[in-house]
This record gives sequence, C-alpha cells and structure tokens, in this order.
Amino acid sequence: MNSPIIEMRSIVKNFGDVKAVRGASFDLRQGEIHSLIGENGAGKSTMMKLLYGMYDRDGGDISVGGAQMGRITPKLAIEKGVGMVHQEFMLVPELTVLENIILGFEPRKGMVLDLPKARAMVQRYIDQYDMDVQMNKRVNQISVGEAQRVEIIKILSRGANVLILDEPTAVLTPQEASHLFEILENLRRDGKSIVFISHRLNEVMEISDRVTVMRRGETIGTLSRGEWDYGKLARMMIGREVFLNVDKKASEPGKPVLQVEHLWTSGEKEISKIRDLSMEVRAGEIVGIAGIDGNGQSELIEAITGLRRVEKGRILLDGTDVTNGSPEAVRRAGLAHIPEDRNLRGLNRSMSIEDNMVATKLREFTKGGMMDRSAIRRYAEELVQRYDVRPGNPQMPTSSLSGGNAQKVVVAREVEMGAKLLVASQPTRGVDIGAIESIEAILEEVKAQGVAVLLVSADLREILSLSDRILVMYEGRITGSMPVDEANENTLGILMMGGSLEGKEEAR
Amino acid sequence: MKRFSGSLKGVLRILLILLMAMGVGALIILLIGENPLEAYGALLRGAFNGKRNFGTTLANFTPLLLTSFAFAIASKAGAFNVGVEGEVFLGGIVAAWIGINVHAPAAVLIPLCFLGAALVGALWAFLPGALKAYWNVNEVCVTILMNYVAQFITSYLVSGPMSAGKANAQSDYVQVTLTQFMKPSSVNTGLFVAIVIAAVMIWMLSRTSFGYKVRMVGTNAAFAEYTGISPRRVLIQAMMVSGAIGGVAGCIEVLGVHGYFLNNFATGLGSNGMLAALIVKCDLRTVPIIALFLGVLKSGAMGMQQSTGVPKSIVDTITALFIIFATMETLFSFNRANRRQKRGNPDSKEVKK
Repeated sequence: MNSPIIEMRSIVKNFGDVKAVRGASFDLRQGEIHSLIGENGAGKSTMMKLLYGMYDRDGGDISVGGAQMGRITPKLAIEKGVGMVHQEFMLVPELTVLENIILGFEPRKGMVLDLPKARAMVQRYIDQYDMDVQMNKRVNQISVGEAQRVEIIKILSRGANVLILDEPTAVLTPQEASHLFEILENLRRDGKSIVFISHRLNEVMEISDRVTVMRRGETIGTLSRGEWDYGKLARMMIGREVFLNVDKKASEPGKPVLQVEHLWTSGEKEISKIRDLSMEVRAGEIVGIAGIDGNGQSELIEAITGLRRVEKGRILLDGTDVTNGSPEAVRRAGLAHIPEDRNLRGLNRSMSIEDNMVATKLREFTKGGMMDRSAIRRYAEELVQRYDVRPGNPQMPTSSLSGGNAQKVVVAREVEMGAKLLVASQPTRGVDIGAIESIEAILEEVKAQGVAVLLVSADLREILSLSDRILVMYEGRITGSMPVDEANENTLGILMMGGSLEGKEEAR
Repeated sequence: MKRFSGSLKGVLRILLILLMAMGVGALIILLIGENPLEAYGALLRGAFNGKRNFGTTLANFTPLLLTSFAFAIASKAGAFNVGVEGEVFLGGIVAAWIGINVHAPAAVLIPLCFLGAALVGALWAFLPGALKAYWNVNEVCVTILMNYVAQFITSYLVSGPMSAGKANAQSDYVQVTLTQFMKPSSVNTGLFVAIVIAAVMIWMLSRTSFGYKVRMVGTNAAFAEYTGISPRRVLIQAMMVSGAIGGVAGCIEVLGVHGYFLNNFATGLGSNGMLAALIVKCDLRTVPIIALFLGVLKSGAMGMQQSTGVPKSIVDTITALFIIFATMETLFSFNRANRRQKRGNPDSKEVKK
C-alpha cells in the first residue's frame, strides 16, 4: 500500500540559461494526495511536465511502478498510467462532453462508434466518483469546474492511476473547489494517487497526505499531515517570514472620485454585457469587485479606462465626464490602471524595463521631441530599487522577468503616476507570494495617501483582506454590496454564483 | 553596448549567408561550364572597377536605400507598406511638374521639388494608413492596388498633358538637376540626401519620442493604447513618413538621374527595397548593407555577362538564394540557448490530442 509508485531523483532541467529544476526529488505513494507547492517559477509545473514527458529532462532518474524510465513521452506516460490535467484545458469546445472524453480512444462496433458503450463507460466514472457532468452538452456550454471534471474523467478512462493536477483550483469558485476536493477524496479512497500542484496553502493543508515544497528549482522538504502549519509552509516556500495579512488602517473615505451611473456597455460577443450598472469609489477607500471571471468585470474596467465604448450611461472621474474618452483623456483626468493582462496590455515585452516604466509619463521625459535618456535611466533605476524589481537592470527586456517582477514594473509605473483613481485588475494573478505581499502592501499605502482604489480580483482572500467595501458582480450586474466586515468567503461565493446554492447551471 | 554587439552579430550573420549564397551560385556557374572565380571577379569588377562602374553601383544603391527605409519605417509601426513604388512614381511626377513649371532660382526650386514629392508621397500613404487604422482594411491589398493607380496616373500624364512629344513617353526636361559627380555614371548628390535621410531615420526611431511611439505601436498596439498613445494616429503618421521617403526617392530619380520623368522609371524600385528590408527583418542598421549589396549585384551583373559567358540571370538566382537563406531563422542564429529552447520547448500541440 505504501510503496512509492513514482520516484524522481536528482532531476535537472534547464531552459537555455535558466535552471528551472536543479536536483529536485519527489516521490508518490499509492493512494495518497501529495501536494507540490512553491512560488511561481519554483519549478513545480516543470517537474511534473518532466514526469508526464512534455519536456525531456537534462538529468536525474525517474521510475514509475519500480521500473526505470528512459526518455518519456506523453504517450508512454499514459501507457504507464500517468495522466495530467493541465492549467489550460485541452478540450475541443465544439464537441460534446462525451465526444471529448472518447476522442482518440473511441469504442467501435465495426465501422461506427459504439456510443452506448462509451456512454455506459463514462456513466460508470460519474457514479463512482460523484462527478456530476452532463455528457450531451457541448464543452463551450459548461462551466470551468465541469470542464475540469471532464478532463479528469478523460484521464481516468485512459487508465490513469496517477493524476497530476496543475493548479486546478486557480479557476474555480470556493464552492467548485470544495466539490473538486470531494472528488479527489473519492479517487484517493479508490486507490488512485494524486499530485496536487498549488500555491494556496489553505487548500493544500486541507486535502494533502504529504506536502513537498519547492523553491528555486530545488525541493526544500517533504512534510506529512500533522507536521505542518501555515507559517511553516510559507517559510519553506519563501525562505523567510511572510506577512500576508496587511494590517489594515481604518479608512476615512472622502468625496467620490469615480462615479459610474447607469452604465451599459457591450462585450466581445454580446451586446450590453453590462446592463445598467452604477457604483462609486471614494477617495481613500478600496472597493473590491468579486465575481467569477467573465461576468463583466473586464468590460466594466475597460469602459472606465477608455478602452471600450460605452453604450449608455455616464462615468465621472473626479468630477470630469470621461464617458467614451480616449485612454489618454481618462489618464489626464486622473487614472492609473494596473490591467488584468500583464503581458498584453500591462507591458511591452519586447521593450526594456526603463522603456516600460516611462510609457505613461512620456511627456515628462521628452525634451523637444527627444527622449531624455539619462533622466529615464535615473528614474527607472530609482523605481527598480524602490519596488524591488529583480534583476534590477533597467535595460533588460521585460520578457526576461518572472511574473512577479514583471508585475512590479507595472505596479511601479502606475502607482508613480500620482493619480486620483487607481484601477487594479487582478493585480496579483500568477504572481508569487513574495510579490503578492509587497503589491498588497503598496495598494494599502496608496489608499492611505487618499487615492481611490478599485480592485478586481478572482482571489477572495485578497478581496476580503484589502477591501473596505465589496461589490459582487454576476452577469453584468452588481448583485451584492457590503462592507467588508459583513462579508465572508461563503456569502460572496453564493452571490458570485448568482445567488443560489445549487447554482452550477446558471454559473456557466 | 549590448545592442551594439547584437547589431554586429546581425552583420556577421548576413555576411555568412552572403557567402553561402555565393557558394551555391558558384556551383551553378560550374554546372553551366564556366569558371565561378572568373565570373565573380568580373562581377566585382563590373560593380567597383572604375568611376563608371562604381558610380553605377552607387546610383543603383541610392533609390534602394530610400525605398528599403520607407518600407522598414512603416513596418516598425506594424504596417506592411507595399505601396512605396507608387509613392516613388507620384513623388517623381510632382517633382517633374514643379521642376518644369515653377520658375525660381535653383536654391529655391530644388528644395521645392523635394518638398512637393515628399508631400504627395505622404498623402498617398495616408490613404491606406487611415483605412487600416479606422476601418481595419488590409493595407497590403490597398497598397498593391494603389501602386497600379499611381503608375497609370503618371503614365497618363507623361503621355498626355505633360508629354514632351517624343517617341518615348516622357516629360519635358526639368530646369534644375542634381549634380552628377562621377560621370559617365548617373550617381548624383541625391546619394547624400538618401544617406542623411537614412541616418535621421535611425536616429529618430531610437532617440525621439515619436520613434518610441512607433516602436511601441509596432510591437504591442494594445499596450500603446492602454498607456494613452493612439495607435491609429501613430500608424498613420508612420505610413506618411514612409510615403514621404518614397516620394523623395522619386524626386532624386527625376532630378538626379534622368532630368525628366521617364514613363515607368520606378518599376521594381519599391519591391526591391521591400526585399532589402525584409531580408534583415527591417533592422534599420543592417538594411543599408543589403541595399548596397543589391546595388552591387545589379551593376556587376552587366559586367559579368559582357566579359564571361555567364548570363545576367545568374545574379537573380544568387539574390533568390540569399533571400531563402536569410529567411531560415535559426541559420547562424548565434544564440544557442535561444535555439535550444525553441527546440526543447513544449510544443503542446502533440500533447493536446
């Protein structure tokens, strides 16, 4: 029962000059949930992708079920009973759930598909593990949580005994996550072994039998249930003490800085994605918007920041009407904006750190049409130091920075605008704990200086710990508004799903 | 410092590719039973030996330098301006019209010709730029078609209203010309104008805030928009700069080479400039090398055909080989880490199934 079925010893993997994994080890026993945790870029995903054969390792031994493995390909890994659920689902959106599951392994009756047989097989998994998926729906009609269950069934139907889940809860609501944990528990009871990659310590402590911590490509240690607590795991991940609970100063909101009145705006595919939305943010307060991705948060932010046309309604920034203003006009009225997509809008990845840092302050650093290079250099050097961007060479292209450091460049640039309103959209998404800590502290500081902050985040912990007031968005409307001391993960989660506990159907 | 060494590597890479193309070219020359060394010798002599040959090389180089920069500048902002040729034609016809009909001292008239040519080139490029920026109309289609329009407009003018009434379709002689300083070749002071423009463009792109905006829009328009730069305005402006440079090239051909507007004189200038720019992915620092190389090949080919049995068309073969090798990105990429990563990278496609 307790013999290791996977053993990875002294694994090494380099990407060019980057040492992604250096001598890390990991083992997995039959019938356990073993979490692999660490900051972004610690090498967790790489480690598991090596096991699954998506990369070739540069050194080290891997054995599966006692047999030494040479070069692994995903095909071989599947044959050996190793399956992986990736961060991005690999499903065909236009096909039904059933078709997706059997794709490539279709049971046949002569020339035609044996659909009844396939259906029976999938139904068996659904019943056995309490999976709750609708086989006849197309994948583009189901929720993220359901798509994830489809992935799990797909892997199980290929005969997997070992399931690797790469940050599975990053895309789920709290309710969906706890459903996933029940499924994982069922799988474990059935003798499956599970590798759970995450950086959310609370859920890791809740479900794991053992936890292995990685830092900078090395394994720091493995702890069994009972040997850990939050502080200990966080220390192992970061290598020092962390203080995520920002000590919040009571806010004394001033006059309204951002006023959104009866806003209507369209989405990418549908018109009127936002329907008659009103809200305001006052000076010196943080208003948090909670909601499942895709319920209009992005559209709202884009409408406010001048990046999306407003159909109807009014947006006032510090008294100035900025409805349908150009991004430049809105910035002139006092906007700073940390965008949700760091790599698309937030940074120009082919340009250097310094060029990115002055992008919103171009006028200040131009003299007679010429860029003042030495002033730019000085400014960038100062910011890099103050915001602790590493490596701190302002001439490096931002594409060489890790997620956390790249985000610090965005935050530095926007905070230094000295704006009246800071819109922070997913400011800590895909960022490691160390950077989360400092970015959250910065937001707190900005608020203390009397700036109005509008925070959108998929991370409820962040919303709860930073906001003074919380708004919940569902299907383009604000379905809840409460001061932070009246909110908790549960109530927010329910509102995020459209106000009903059995709201999975509505929540797609 | 780093950027410099990067540029140096680029130059080295081009030279190696050049050698390879010449090598394969040599094999072909061997195949048709000629001596490649002799042929290349004749080619070099044809391009560099004597005032006449070297002058012709420089005369070929002048418009190519301008058209390749015109293309490259637009591409820095993310536009694929195939329309440089049309801008050369229109710049030429406007320069000719001003040079024929406006009466002023040379010191005024010559700048006036240049200004007029640049202006009409810029306006001509404004159209596809604005169509792309505001209505997302594909600029490649528009500029290709507008090339025909430009060519036919000028053809009509020099066959009709502006015709000199000679056997060839051409305009009257202009009153002022640029000095040809290596006679009997047609290289003229326009060469220096072209070099200055190229230098200014390199400076503009790396030092000025306009250049910064152009690079930003070209590499990430969504980011530019978010920071408050208008990608549309910058795109149109870059297209207009591109068009103006094309117009200047036309002006130099008319005032410096021919002395009148010769029907269809610009055919191929735009596409060759585009080639030169594309070979080095529009890296402004190395574009001049390619433009010069194309100029050398063009003038050397004549000499080679005359003094050996190797046909001129072998040069086109070498040019083609050169382009093929240049587009093989990983060839001589020097950055081994980068290359390895590309190879070992998770192409998740195969996993997706």
